Order: sequence, then C-alpha cells, then structure tokens
Amino acid sequence: MSVDGDSSPLSSSGSDDFAALLNEELAGISSDESLEEEADETDQDHDGEEEEVYEELNVEDADFAPKRSKRQRLDMLDDDEGLHCSTSLEPVSQSSDVSVQLEICAHPSLIKGMCVKCGRMVDDVSAVALGYIHKDLKVGSDELARLRNKDLKSLFRKKKLYLVLDLDHTLLNSTHFQHISPDEEYLKSQTDSLQDLPNGNLFQLDSMRMFTKLRPFVRTFLKEASNMFEMYVYTMGERPYAMEMARLLDPGKIYFDSRVISQADCTQKHQKGLDVVLGAESAVIILDDTEYVWRQHKENLILMDRYHYFSSSGRSFNLNNRSLAELKRDESEPDGALATILEVLKRIHQLFFDLEQDDDLMRRDVRQVLKTVRSEVLKGCKLVFSRVWKIGEQVENQRLWEVAEELGAICCKELDASVTHVVSTDMGTEKSRWAVKYKKFLVNPSWIEAANFLWQRQPEDSFAVNDSKKEH
Amino acid sequence: MFFHIVLERNMQLHPRHFGPNLRDKLVAKLMKDVEGTCSGRHGFVVAITGVDNVGKGLIRDGTGFVTFPVKYQCVVFRPFKGEILEAAVTIVNKMGFFAEAGPVQIFVSNHLIPDDMEFQSGDIPNYTTSDGSVKIQRDSEVRLKIIGTRVDATEIFCIGTIKDDFLGVINDPGAAA
Repeated sequence: MSVDGDSSPLSSSGSDDFAALLNEELAGISSDESLEEEADETDQDHDGEEEEVYEELNVEDADFAPKRSKRQRLDMLDDDEGLHCSTSLEPVSQSSDVSVQLEICAHPSLIKGMCVKCGRMVDDVSAVALGYIHKDLKVGSDELARLRNKDLKSLFRKKKLYLVLDLDHTLLNSTHFQHISPDEEYLKSQTDSLQDLPNGNLFQLDSMRMFTKLRPFVRTFLKEASNMFEMYVYTMGERPYAMEMARLLDPGKIYFDSRVISQADCTQKHQKGLDVVLGAESAVIILDDTEYVWRQHKENLILMDRYHYFSSSGRSFNLNNRSLAELKRDESEPDGALATILEVLKRIHQLFFDLEQDDDLMRRDVRQVLKTVRSEVLKGCKLVFSRVWKIGEQVENQRLWEVAEELGAICCKELDASVTHVVSTDMGTEKSRWAVKYKKFLVNPSWIEAANFLWQRQPEDSFAVNDSKKEH
Repeated sequence: MFFHIVLERNMQLHPRHFGPNLRDKLVAKLMKDVEGTCSGRHGFVVAITGVDNVGKGLIRDGTGFVTFPVKYQCVVFRPFKGEILEAAVTIVNKMGFFAEAGPVQIFVSNHLIPDDMEFQSGDIPNYTTSDGSVKIQRDSEVRLKIIGTRVDATEIFCIGTIKDDFLGVINDPGAAA
C-alpha cells in the first residue's frame, strides 16, 4: 500500500511511528491483524480468478453465438416432436443466417467508433458526423446516399419535401438583456409566460439572459408548412440556444423532432451545408436571411427579408432606424414576410407534385421548380439601369442585375422602345428623363429587392425615384 | 449479465470521522462513492451487498486524511456481446433507435431492424410493419441481442440487433392505449 508516496523523506520516520500506532488502535476496532493479512492474500487469488472468469466469458462471446442459437433450436425441436415436417427447413434458414454473418460488413455508419451493423471498432475518417442525432454518430457517404434515397421515397409517398429553416432574423429575433435600449424597457413587463408556449410570442429566457420575439405568423407558418414539408432547423447559433428556440417554436416537438442542426454540426467553418441533412438536395428548400453561408446550395435557397424586432439586432447590420420594438409596432401578420413565403412554398409544392409531363417523381428537382417560379416574378419586364452602380463596373456581375435576371426580367444596357422600366437612383440622369418622357416606369433599385423578397412584382408607384435635389 | 464479485478500493476518510463510528462512516461513504458508477472492467456497480474487510489505515502527511483499503462484495452489471437483453426504447429516428437497459445505452441501427419494418416519421416517430401489427416507438420494450460493446471509463455503450428469431417488441405502449 504505497499511499504516502508524497511524504517527504525528512518527516517519514515520525509519521511511520504514528501510523504504526494508529494501526494498532484500529486493529482493535476492525478485526485481527493476522486475519486481515490472510484476507489480503485470498483477495489477490480471487482477483486472479475473476479475470479468468471474464476471459472465459469473452471466448464464449466470440465463438459461441451461432452455436448457442443452434442449441436453442435443437431444444425447441425436441420439445415439439409433432413438427418434424419443418425440420428440413430449419437448417437451411440457419445456414443462410450464418452466411449473412460471414459477409464482409461495409460499416455503413459508426457510433462511438463502433460499426452499427457488425459491432466492430472501425476507424473511418471520411464519415460525416451527425452530432444532432447522437453526439457520437458518424455516417459513411454511401450510407448517407442510401438513407437519403430511401427517405425520399417515403417522403414523396406522403407528398412532402424538405424545408430547412434558419432561426435568427428568419423565424425570430433575439437579444441579450444588456442590449435592450431604453425605449425597449417596456417589453420586460409584456413578456409571455413560458408556461404558455403555444400562444406566446415574446419570451424572457433568464437562463440565457435573452429576450426572444417570434416573427408574426410563425405559428401558422409552421403548422401549414408541416403539411407540405419535413422541417429542419439549421442555425449558426450554439446548440443550447438552438434547442431552446426549437422548444419555443415547437413545444409539442411535432415539427422538428431531433432535426435541429446547430453550429457545432457544420462541417465547414462559417458555411451551412446540406451534407448533414438527411435529405436529397433535389428536394430541399432552404429559408434563410443570409445568402453567403449557403454558397454551395444557392439554388435551394429562398432568401428572407431580415426580421429586426430589437434595436440591437438592426444595429449589428448597420441599420440605424428605430427598431420595431421601439416604435411599438410589428410586422403585419396577414401579409408579412412569412405569410408571403408560405404562399410561395405552397405554389412550389403544388407545382412539384402536379407536374404532368414527367412521371418519375424521383427525377424531379425542386431547384428547377424554384427557378421557374422565380423567373415568373418579373416576366415581361425589360430593365435599364441608370446610376445604380459606378461607371466602368462589369454590369453582368452586379448582384442587382443577376437578381433581376433570376426574377425573369430582361436587363439591357441601352435604351430602346421595348424597355419597360428604368431603374435609377437619380431623377436627373438622361435615362431617367427618357423614362419620364416616354411614360415608362421609373423605379428605384429597392423595387427589385422587394420583388425578390416578396416573390411578386411590386406596384411601381411605391418605389418612385426621389428627386436628388430634395434628397440633399 | 449480473455478477456478484468482491472488489477493493482505497477509501480516504477525513479525521473528523475517527471515533467509534469509523467503520459505519467508511461503509456509508463507500456506498455513496461506488454505487451507480461504472468501471470499464467490471461494468456498473448496482449495489454493495457487504463489506468483507477494512484494512490498515495509512495517514497521509499534511492532510491528516487516512486511507483504508476496503474490500467489499457487490452486484455488477456488464453487458456482453451475444447477450440477450430487454430494454426500453428512448429515441426513434431514421437511423434506427436507441434503447436503455438500466444504465446501458444500446443503439439498434435500421440495418438490424427486420426489413419489413419501415420508419414512419410524424409526431411519434416509429418503425412499423407493413400490416401495422408491430410497432416500435418511444417507451416500447424490446428484446435485443448485443452485437458490440464499447466500454469507456464511465460509460458502456452497445450496438444491438432485433433482426433474429425471438427478438423484437415484447410490450407495446401504443397497443395498450
């Protein structure tokens, strides 16, 4: 018993004496010293035995499984002799069982480094970690493809697609206690009780020191979308936050189940990827307010107008106007962003499942449908831009130009009679004056942005170009 | 599998416990420290059934704590490959389902669920046969066979299968409801 390894050599003699004394004393309390020593020896023996027992067991584990099942079967057969006719079948099925076991396992996925199919320890670095399903789960690429394919079939049977939803600025807006502006203090008395999750929309989360405001219409949105989609939450927030938000949005756990993906699950830094989503890319629609995180899946993305309820949220995007909370207002419920997008989703869903020309559902691609729907928004518009970007810049690479073309508008550089809209920031340019003269629509660039977010051609009157003289 | 074995442990005791009740204190502390823990070698310690022997104490310099080697009998639970266990289902998802047999977590992958059972998503995700007669969902009780174990210092995790004769649901909460 080398317990006092830390005792210094100087003091050891003294402590040893004391230890001996104490031992003597204790011997009286517990039991006879000699007995103890004997017991010590026997214990060592016992330990040895124990190990042997375990070894035997392990041997049994490795070799015995098939044998044991055989024995079981034999027992059974002995019991009911009347069933002799079936005996001829038994060995056949058994041998096929054995051959299955002998097949080389492809190690489809691993949990804690253990293959889920054969139970062996495997080291596969290429497998993708799906931490949101289980913290130690890794799935190989072949298995991912198989799962997606299988899942897609059952999903199509239910006439559903996948919907990946971002949290912040898309479905809700959160802010820390310390970032509340003086004009927003009144909110503290207006929060909804956490006991009433399904009805509330403004919550105070003391554990995270946060206020969370759900976007108007979000409850109806989720309810209706769940009939058409299998929904995922995919956020750049951390896991506890994501779980808490999912609880606010889905207290009954009927929409998301375990499909809540957070920052830790992303395979690339600052990028969201569909590689951790168990859904085929051809059937996924993404709702997010940030475009660049979905660099590889832009075609699946529906860009959302950002929801800023708290002033701190607007400030982080360099918006300095007063927040909705400060103005004691909110997005409109019947025609806010979520209601608009729900209509778009309904249309995409309907188009996807109603396409007559191609009978094979599996080969359909929601990205194509998305593209088609998008390209109908500004169909028939021919745009000319004026003073929207600096002279000399490559116009074809401009975002606004790209967006307009995606929305189905035709963009050109020069004026001609077929042009329908002039997009301008200034009344005074030559093109703007031309538009006024020939009674063409003259709109500012946010007309395109609005059409992009609302998926509808907007009334041109509300996007008139401000007179530059008045502006300055 | 359960085992009744003798284990030994060095217990450190604070000097304030030295006195007539020293042994009782030691046993109480042993129970608190050991029951419910898991060691990779022996499995989960379910209960202490008796203390065989308390060895000579050794005083630790500087602290005054005394270390006693204590030998005790206990019931341990350790799952083995090939063992048949009964477990309660906790989570069901596309990948398969998780079940618990006491402190042991077991995962049954969809490869090892009979082929005629399909995953059904919805508010109660489950695996159901095509005729709907058998259903595995949360809180179902299943009989499964362990095909792999991973033993860590504080946790034992198993891979199981129900794709074999006499395995599968033994009690279905959905059927009773």
